[in-house]
Amino acid sequence: MAIRARRYQDAKAQAGTNLELAWWVFMRLSGLVLVFLVLGHIYMNFVLIDVNTVNYNYVAQRLSNTTWKIYDLVILGLALLHGLNGSRYVMDDWIRHPGRRFVTKAVVYGLGLLVFLIGSISLLNHDFSR
Amino acid sequence: MYRGREGQWAFFLHRLSGIALLLWLLLHTLNISSAMWGPEVSNRLMAFFHVPVFQVGLLLVTAGALYHAFNGLRIILMDFTSWGVKYQKELWYGVLFLCLAAAIPGLIITVPRIIAAASRNGG
Repeated sequence: MAIRARRYQDAKAQAGTNLELAWWVFMRLSGLVLVFLVLGHIYMNFVLIDVNTVNYNYVAQRLSNTTWKIYDLVILGLALLHGLNGSRYVMDDWIRHPGRRFVTKAVVYGLGLLVFLIGSISLLNHDFSR
Repeated sequence: MYRGREGQWAFFLHRLSGIALLLWLLLHTLNISSAMWGPEVSNRLMAFFHVPVFQVGLLLVTAGALYHAFNGLRIILMDFTSWGVKYQKELWYGVLFLCLAAAIPGLIITVPRIIAAASRNGG
């Protein structure tokens, strides 16, 4: 059950398990980090340059730079965990039927894992500098 | 919490923008990762996403990112300060103000480019 508390003490009292409390804390910590990383990412790739000019060359140039590899990998990992856990709160709320909820969660988490694999391979295991 | 009108809107918009951002993250990662398959595949895919409809969608999802970011900071203030819950309504208006303050210059910069690209390609 998702925590409804506003304040760490209430969250601690409401958390059914330590894991649920850890997720509650993770959402705040990762959120705080993502605010800066994601807004910085948007600023660099949407405001500073025209998105219409983004093409293979631009992506390959960025993804061959170690700084952006690390930057993008941190965003990918944190945002996926943050987003998938957020979607878990939504699915727990909105899908009442247990069987349907289980299947939906399996599909969403599976998609998330697949996207993490493809994204991290493109960041770490593909040489764009050639 | 969430008994007041503003609180309910704040919660609903946070959820809506969160779902949109997760969908965007999945699509965007796949789109950019397509560069692994070389220029032909990824340039075609990126050209597809540069169609004006998707650019308007991009503006909306960016607005969602701004709201989710600033309202997320509001949630953190409510959770970890002694005064956050008491001033949640005022904080929410602050969130909306920050969104507008970021969106207006952002739109002034990006919309002319989108219109220029649209008229270059289609109109």
